[in-house]
Amino acid sequence: MGLEQVYWTLPIVAYPFISGLIAGSFIVGSLSKIFGQKQYEPLAKLSLLVTLAFILFAPVGPLADSRQPSRWWELYTRAHIPEAPMGLFTIIWTTYVIVVIAEIYLAFRAPLHQLSEVTPGWKGRLYHWLTLGSTGMSEMRLRREHKWLVILAGFGIFLAFAFHGYIGFIFGAIKARPLWHNALMMPMFITSAILSGIALMIIVYSIVFRYFSFHRKVDSALVDGLMKIMIWVLLVDLFLDVVDILNSAPVAYTDQATASGFAEIFLHGPLTGAYWIGQLGLLVVALTLALFRGIRTSPLWASVASFAALISIWFMRYNTVIGGQLQPKVSQGVVLYSPALFGRGSMQIVFGLFMFILFVFSLLLMVFPWDDEATKHRLFHSTQLTNHGEQNRSTNKILEH
Amino acid sequence: MAEDDVHVEQNNARQMGNQESRREFLKQALKVGGVVGIATVIGGPVGAVKALASTETKQNATDGSATNWEGWEDPQLNVNDGWNNWDKILNPDNLPIYHDHFDEIKKVKPKHHWVMVIDLRKCVGCQSCTVACKSENNIPIGYYRTWVDVAEIGSTLQTSLGNTVTANGTYEQQIKIRNIPKLCNHCDNPPCVTVCPVKATFKRADGPVLVDPRLCIGCGTCVNACPYDARYINPISHTADKCTLCVERIDEGLLPACVTTCVGRARIFGDLNDPTSEVSKLLASNPVQVRKPEMGTDPQVFYIGLNGEISTENDPEAENLIYTYTMNTNSTAYQQLAGKSLLK
Ligand code: SF4
Ligand code: SF4
Repeated sequence: MGLEQVYWTLPIVAYPFISGLIAGSFIVGSLSKIFGQKQYEPLAKLSLLVTLAFILFAPVGPLADSRQPSRWWELYTRAHIPEAPMGLFTIIWTTYVIVVIAEIYLAFRAPLHQLSEVTPGWKGRLYHWLTLGSTGMSEMRLRREHKWLVILAGFGIFLAFAFHGYIGFIFGAIKARPLWHNALMMPMFITSAILSGIALMIIVYSIVFRYFSFHRKVDSALVDGLMKIMIWVLLVDLFLDVVDILNSAPVAYTDQATASGFAEIFLHGPLTGAYWIGQLGLLVVALTLALFRGIRTSPLWASVASFAALISIWFMRYNTVIGGQLQPKVSQGVVLYSPALFGRGSMQIVFGLFMFILFVFSLLLMVFPWDDEATKHRLFHSTQLTNHGEQNRSTNKILEH
Repeated sequence: MAEDDVHVEQNNARQMGNQESRREFLKQALKVGGVVGIATVIGGPVGAVKALASTETKQNATDGSATNWEGWEDPQLNVNDGWNNWDKILNPDNLPIYHDHFDEIKKVKPKHHWVMVIDLRKCVGCQSCTVACKSENNIPIGYYRTWVDVAEIGSTLQTSLGNTVTANGTYEQQIKIRNIPKLCNHCDNPPCVTVCPVKATFKRADGPVLVDPRLCIGCGTCVNACPYDARYINPISHTADKCTLCVERIDEGLLPACVTTCVGRARIFGDLNDPTSEVSKLLASNPVQVRKPEMGTDPQVFYIGLNGEISTENDPEAENLIYTYTMNTNSTAYQQLAGKSLLK
């Protein structure tokens, strides 16, 4: 026995948050492929890169929180299937990483190959290396690749649900914590995952296309469309939250431990503000904002609404992970917790984690031709060049920039 | 779609302007990348390395996380008298004795079924078992494998015939103190074992639930999953730790340390497979209870005279916990107990 305390700290809060973004952004990226929503095509490549950047760091949260992370390989070698929820993570995550990398390969192989032919120097070699030396450009080959892309995207959506559903399961399965032991955990986590993914893609799309794309233009119809989807997911999320409150707050509807835990922590306890203002309030704010057409079509305001939704989801993770542990199992009162600034389980770790993700995402943006317009332009531009040999040198410089 | 992407557009009207803008874009991207890179170099690795440095022995108690010993925040202790000397406290030599040679612990056949019976009528609350366990197993300060919580049953009634006479009236005190020794229940259906992602923790065939300190990744899932708060993360080995029923002693035919030392003989240890053992007889002739039976964990530590789980609710009818080792100084209960003024 240790003194009753919070065992799972901030990195574990970041863990479902990041996983949610993965699941959500992958689904948004698949809208055009699986659901035939062609207007979301510009998002397809971008969201794959977002997914990859986040998925690579998904296991860092729990590893940073565990005390012997250097033994991570035990997660692969020990027989823990099927009971241990955390053990399932290893399998789903590994599969997911492979699927995402395969998707990226299929989506980018053709443009990468074409670019490698017109790009001189190490960059051209990098492009060539990224295609794994595959140069086929026949109609049939491209069609086949596209077919696989769609199949993998379908499988990936299934994985997205599994990935996030089981994170809900990690908490839902722990019966020692009354506030976690809740059948709603899974659907709540899945819904909020999709919500956060859409919100993230709205922000990323607005920023990246506004500042870094070829035309430097954000398609407000596309943002509007995403915001409309977000409204529906927001409604489902709010609905689940209300059901959760009905299930946990009134003593008449639940067991003593859950009711008193909910009251001591969320009704008049340390996380009252985080729950009613952070989690629910911001969700309502995002929903209200999203109802206005003017806001939906303005990339800036749509991003503000999405940001509110993202913060609300962060609070939801915090309230779940930390809130559940504030209720003592055998002791009295409520455990108090405030995240540390530095060191184990601190804000510093979470900040570093997000910085790593941003860094990797920027790298991916620089390497992969995610902007179809820019790729077209570059290819067209260089066909022109080969016709005017004398310009070659000066243009090479530009390309090498 | 891949096919569409690669079509070469024939329109080159804004070609020169676009070259310009692309150059700017690249510059901008580089700039953003640079800023982020620097932030990463400063923020990321420092944090990650700190988090990953599992051998780190000096901890600052800042956030109440599991490896922090919180005792020195206790106002009763003087920080200056060496309580917070981590080199002394977190001495690797102080690991529980089996940690270094866990492989010597036998894998046994279910010949025995070890259980413990705790007769609450006999416990005097002397905490000898707590001390014996700490000393036998080198348990770090702030952690316990067994402990004795104190609860109170009953109430003070105002009555004319009471034997407690005060200026405000006469009272009769119908109060009993219950000392409740607690330890890992070595559940037959242990949730802590089920949730372990690396199966570092397991139930040995003859009863004890053990943690293999060579495999445990210290994820803390089992610590959260135990409904009895019987587990902790050992701040020295950085792995999950708990009562082992003194496995290395019982394998040699000895009793667990807490049983040997119990002055009231409230703790009785034995083999349930043997009908003539004292535990079998006690279970046959007494009503016994287990802690939190509703959890379905099937505990193998049985209590005589336990009136349900002792409540922590503000219910005058309930049995009330009046003292528990599990209380964190960083909790509302402690603040109420100690008074805010002490927590400077
Ligand atoms: S009391 Fe807790 S640690 Fe011990 S076996 Fe049961 S669930 Fe596991
Ligand atoms: S802390 Fe160790 S024993 Fe407990 S669940 Fe994690 S790996 Fe298993």
